[in-house]
Amino acid sequence: MSTIGFWISGVVGRTLAYSVPLLLSTLGEIYAERSGILNLGVEGLMSLGAFSAFATAFFSGNPWLGVVVSGVVAGCASLVHAFCSVTLRTNQVVSGLALGMLGMGISGVLGRDFEGKVLATTLPVFRLPFLSALPGFEKHNVFVYVSLGLAVILWFVLFHTRWGIVIRSVGENPAACDAMGINVTLVRYSCVFFGGVLAGLSGAYLSLGYRPSWSYGMTAGMGWLAIALTIFAFWNPLWGMVGAYLFGVLYHFSFRFQARVSPELLNTLPYLFPLVALSFVSRLAARRRVGPPASLGVPYQRGSS
Amino acid sequence: MKRFTVGVLLVFLLCFGFVALGNAQETKIKAGFIYVGPIGDFGWSYAHDQARRIVDDTYPWLETVYVEAVPEGEVEGVIDRLINQEGVDIVVTTSFGFMDGTLSAAQRYPDKIFFHCSGFKRAPNMATYMADFHQVYYLNGVIAGALTKTGKLGYVGAFPIPELKRHINAFALGARRVNPNAQVLVRWLQTSWYDPAGAKEAAESLIAEGVDVLAFTEDSPTVVQVAAEHGLPSFGHYSPMYKFAPNFVASGQLVHWEAIYFDFFAKVYAGLYTPKNLENVDYWWLLREGAVELGADFGMPINPVFEDQLKSTMVNDPIYGEISVYDLVFALLKAMADPEYAFSPFTGPIRDRKGNLRVPEGVRLTMDELITMEWAAEGVVGAWPGEPE
Repeated sequence: MSTIGFWISGVVGRTLAYSVPLLLSTLGEIYAERSGILNLGVEGLMSLGAFSAFATAFFSGNPWLGVVVSGVVAGCASLVHAFCSVTLRTNQVVSGLALGMLGMGISGVLGRDFEGKVLATTLPVFRLPFLSALPGFEKHNVFVYVSLGLAVILWFVLFHTRWGIVIRSVGENPAACDAMGINVTLVRYSCVFFGGVLAGLSGAYLSLGYRPSWSYGMTAGMGWLAIALTIFAFWNPLWGMVGAYLFGVLYHFSFRFQARVSPELLNTLPYLFPLVALSFVSRLAARRRVGPPASLGVPYQRGSS
Repeated sequence: MKRFTVGVLLVFLLCFGFVALGNAQETKIKAGFIYVGPIGDFGWSYAHDQARRIVDDTYPWLETVYVEAVPEGEVEGVIDRLINQEGVDIVVTTSFGFMDGTLSAAQRYPDKIFFHCSGFKRAPNMATYMADFHQVYYLNGVIAGALTKTGKLGYVGAFPIPELKRHINAFALGARRVNPNAQVLVRWLQTSWYDPAGAKEAAESLIAEGVDVLAFTEDSPTVVQVAAEHGLPSFGHYSPMYKFAPNFVASGQLVHWEAIYFDFFAKVYAGLYTPKNLENVDYWWLLREGAVELGADFGMPINPVFEDQLKSTMVNDPIYGEISVYDLVFALLKAMADPEYAFSPFTGPIRDRKGNLRVPEGVRLTMDELITMEWAAEGVVGAWPGEPE
């Protein structure tokens, strides 16, 4: 392979591998927020997912079981947030933050004995037919393909199916949906649960595939980035994919160009560039009236509005 | 009567003795440890905590508590809590960034003892200590220089501070001793001492540039795991990382902080160290003192997987003549562990990568010169913030 080809395949490959947890948890957060529920606990859910996946894989020797358990655990944990914000109508910022801290704390305490342990079997890498001919797609963890496909599927569901209309409507005007006989509570619970599952899976990817190990704090702020990317993406899964990969490629460049460009400057790029892009895109969005779901963060109470 | 007096005196003495003995048994020292990372990082903080457990188990008069994952700017508040709520007598702070916070706390609590790791500021009640790896990195460099096929070694560093620059230079000097054209490609994280994702991507980008042996300073086994995924040898850091990749961890740097803690706490207990005489107490312990060890795992200086390759690689060494790299490593190890410091990696002539003579012929760098090192040795490639002209 030519030098350029080798270089491109390296950049693409690393971007795909690094961006998976960002992409998955961003997609989950997009769905939760589209239904009107702001979930700031993504970081904690990721941590719970990473820990439960690792612990399960450690005892069972089966990483796939770990993946399933991480989704279930983080999904169920996110129901705590759904219960507080949908049923009890508490402040979603507070409840989400509390869930995040709870997730970090529980995984940290329970995970103490698993730190520094080695997994016998980790998630394998696959070569997909056709796709593996593309530079950078040679071989990857299954999560790389799944997250890529999921972004497209979730975009399609959100904008081209009845389910999508229901979810978006609940996030815009729950009272109207309620009047039309849509179960607002069920939709919001489901979306928060789904977001939790995806956050858990992104944690499982970290602890079973990306860097097979468990230690407290290994999510390193990725959950917070996902919340920022959700806004950057204007609550659109495809833009979420663009944002996650953009962050990933700039992150890779921050190491790749270090020998030639000052590392301090490079380190700011992954954060600076989305910021600049955001300010440009938001002007565009203002013209086309794309914004956060109208009822984002507002608890719905029948008959109150 | 005389007998009676003697008897009374004896009883009196005995009682007094028992009281004194009883007092001695009741005297307990409580030490509080402050870590910058989580103790499960399997790196720096983990190693400190292992040592804390060992001294706590060994000395019956010592009680210890710890606080982990303390941000560097918040150390003073944690010290206040340890002293006021936990009632500790000695505060041990284990990160360079804790230095100023520890010093200011030391001034506020003049009757408590402070023990700060890897810094250079001291006070009458604040001593410093460090178990330094530059000798071990030199030996790792010798091994790496013999193992590389591309001539490019990779190094992932957390922050460009003198400690890491010294270690990277030692690594490069060791490699070039057996492989004069070897290069050390450096990538900095500049985020945190514990940054697995950064370490992973930094290591991957080094491998993409053709590096085929990896060493690092970051507090997780990530680099070792990445190297193993690519089938490349690496060097463990701070903890025995052999188990993470038994076929690929060639050697590494291991620490025995307990060696220093044993000595320091015993001297405090015996009354030799008080809050008034620590101004010049600075432990700078190396191979000779048993504070550091060369190895992939404790008692395994070189991974047996690499033994044959290193034994069959012959070099013409300026001191030892025709010798295998394997024997050279052990000869140098012996010379550096010698009570007389028979050999130092930073013995002149050494030029930096800009061509300036940094260590003249026959001169050996002093400890002060080592801990303030900013220049980059020949063969080091990559950004080097703070590099002198």
